[in-house]
Amino acid sequence: MSTQTDTTGGTPAAADHLVEVQHLAKSFGDHEVITDISFTVDPGTVTCVIGPSGSGKTTLLRSLNALEVPDRGVVRIGGTTVDFAGINPGPRGRLPKPQRAELMALRRHSGMVFQAHHLFPHKTALENVIEGPVVVQGESPADATARARELLDKVGLAEHVDKYPFQLSGGQQQRVGIARALAIRPDLVLFDEPTSALDPELVGDVLGVMKTLASEGWTMVVVTHELRFAQQVADQVLFIDGGVIVEQGPPQDVIANPQHPRTRTFLTRLLEPI
Amino acid sequence: MKRAAHALFVLILGLLCVAVPATGAAAASGSPASAATTGRTADLPPTLKVGTEGVYPPFSYHGGPGNGLTGYDIDVMNAIGKHLGVKVEYVETPFDSMFAALEAGRFDVVANQITFNEERNARYDLSDPYVETTGVLVVRKGEKNITKLADLKGKRAAENITSNWAEVAKGAGATIVGVDDMSLAIDNLEQGRVDALVNDKLAIRNYLRTKPDAGIKVVAETNDVSKSVLAAKKGSGYLPQLNKAIADLRADGTLDKIYAKYFGAAVTTPSTWQIMRDNAWPMARAALTKTIPLTVISFAVGMVIALAIGLMRMSSHPVVAGIARLYISFIRGTPLLVQLFLIFYALPQLGVKINPFLAAVIAFSLNVGGYAAEIVRSSVESLPRGQWEAASTVGMGYAATLRRVILPQAARTAVPPLSNTLISLVKDTSLAATILVVELFRRAQIAAAPSFEFLALYGMAALYYWVICLVLSFAQSRTETRLNRFVAA
Repeated sequence: MSTQTDTTGGTPAAADHLVEVQHLAKSFGDHEVITDISFTVDPGTVTCVIGPSGSGKTTLLRSLNALEVPDRGVVRIGGTTVDFAGINPGPRGRLPKPQRAELMALRRHSGMVFQAHHLFPHKTALENVIEGPVVVQGESPADATARARELLDKVGLAEHVDKYPFQLSGGQQQRVGIARALAIRPDLVLFDEPTSALDPELVGDVLGVMKTLASEGWTMVVVTHELRFAQQVADQVLFIDGGVIVEQGPPQDVIANPQHPRTRTFLTRLLEPI
Repeated sequence: MKRAAHALFVLILGLLCVAVPATGAAAASGSPASAATTGRTADLPPTLKVGTEGVYPPFSYHGGPGNGLTGYDIDVMNAIGKHLGVKVEYVETPFDSMFAALEAGRFDVVANQITFNEERNARYDLSDPYVETTGVLVVRKGEKNITKLADLKGKRAAENITSNWAEVAKGAGATIVGVDDMSLAIDNLEQGRVDALVNDKLAIRNYLRTKPDAGIKVVAETNDVSKSVLAAKKGSGYLPQLNKAIADLRADGTLDKIYAKYFGAAVTTPSTWQIMRDNAWPMARAALTKTIPLTVISFAVGMVIALAIGLMRMSSHPVVAGIARLYISFIRGTPLLVQLFLIFYALPQLGVKINPFLAAVIAFSLNVGGYAAEIVRSSVESLPRGQWEAASTVGMGYAATLRRVILPQAARTAVPPLSNTLISLVKDTSLAATILVVELFRRAQIAAAPSFEFLALYGMAALYYWVICLVLSFAQSRTETRLNRFVAA
């Protein structure tokens, strides 16, 4: 488990941050989802992104690995910097090849855990995990399999390596998704509401695994509604609303003692929904 | 189906006829009309290819030892070939495609009771007659109202639409119902679907000898003598040699001998069971060597085309997607039979000549490609976007994502509709009969023509097709089970 240490060969001034986001903006048609967002993530830390639905937090997360292409802004992860001002898909969403290569380079730094897991249904848990290392990174199947077994063991699925996704519970599927994201040895792991689609009694297993990862020093950016998890695990919390960061800081500030009225309203609704 | 196919046939021939005279005229423009009569003299090729129907007893049909091609016209043609010292090779062709195939250069000469008339003489090189006969008017037993040609006015007559007899019946005021060969014409008459038919006296006489209890009778002869001639392309230069051979064979009594062989002594007819036994293996062999390979190769090539076109169709590049859209639209918007004919009969006019089996493979592959492309597209598009995203987050590019993630899953949804395409293809290969591929259905036609055992032989053909499709259906359900292993029951 080595990957969390940064491999940046970038500028010395920026070397202490793993991720640097500057003035990110993104619209879907006339609807501006992200107005102007800047923040940094230090290696080995956990950043939780909270905010009402439609606030742009998922779009922000997906921008970090270019699943969404922002209209403007600069994202640097490790030694790869992409200035999105120069990357404009045409009306049909098509990018020229060199620009696609740029996005691929950015994407290589992160692993992604989706809300709906998006496991490959025609592959077993083990095959899902080794797919990236073997097919993309050219790791030998034997090595990749040994590593995948360790990862699946770490997420508590040693018994289930040969099962297909449909044979697993929602929580187990999500944990396979985590193992798959870790298998490509990313610098950064992105979580997009990893527990929102789960039955409540399965949420704990997934959060438990994420806690372990945090304690092992993985750098994580987590979009979540789990305030307790954020309070216990996060190094910084970003509260996003209306496409901007309304409040940011350690959880004991943003969650326990919010300064901004919008943050307070949101937290009240979340904690006392009725 | 047969009838619809026939209508198409007529349409295509019509189109070809528009094109043919144009090219013919261009070729002949240097030498005026006299070319036909005086013309140049050219040696016959060492192997003379002869177009013939193979389903027109007793002139051209399958029978005798080994179920080979035989008949009056065949014997005459063999004698001519021997006399002139050239090898004769037969190309079996449905009558209504005969002249199109001659134009397309599929063979050099037609020997199939081609009746001399002026229109034909203007367009083709026609030899001196090698046999003369008259037409007869045939009706159902018990028919009282049709006793002479003039009574045909307003009646329905079954004929080969491009034959001389169709002209005679039409001239008498009959409405022509197009059929593929004489035995089908008789069949239609016996079943009351038409009122009469006009055909060659010798052919009808032969039929009545084979089937003495048939429900038809001859009521009149046509006035004109019909002269059967050999036909070649205009300006072929073959006429002097052919005419000399015919004259020589008449002089030495060969033609008389052949005539006596086919129109003299009585014949014995084998039983239905015997005919089915005799044809069971030839038909199975046709299925194994033609129908099944045609299906398998066409489907395999078609799937490659389908994948390419299906992916192009989904491309965000407007030109690429447009090409795919156009291709699919053309394939789905035109009949398969027309596509077959375009490749087999029309391409030769542009100088591209391909053999029947290959032409069939090309036409069927292109057709499957068009239909299956839409299946590929819909099954790929039915997959959640998240699969593409997940693949890209583990670092896969487009090609790897397709190969490793998308296509294996798309295969699952695509198998049932693709199986439909495959099973349709098995049956559609019977259309290859129209472009001279002697596959299962054509083999049944050939066997049915001289024996008139339609029910038994077409029934057997149906059974063979059915068995092939049953095997495929079984394979389909096996494949589905395999592909469903990763899906909750």
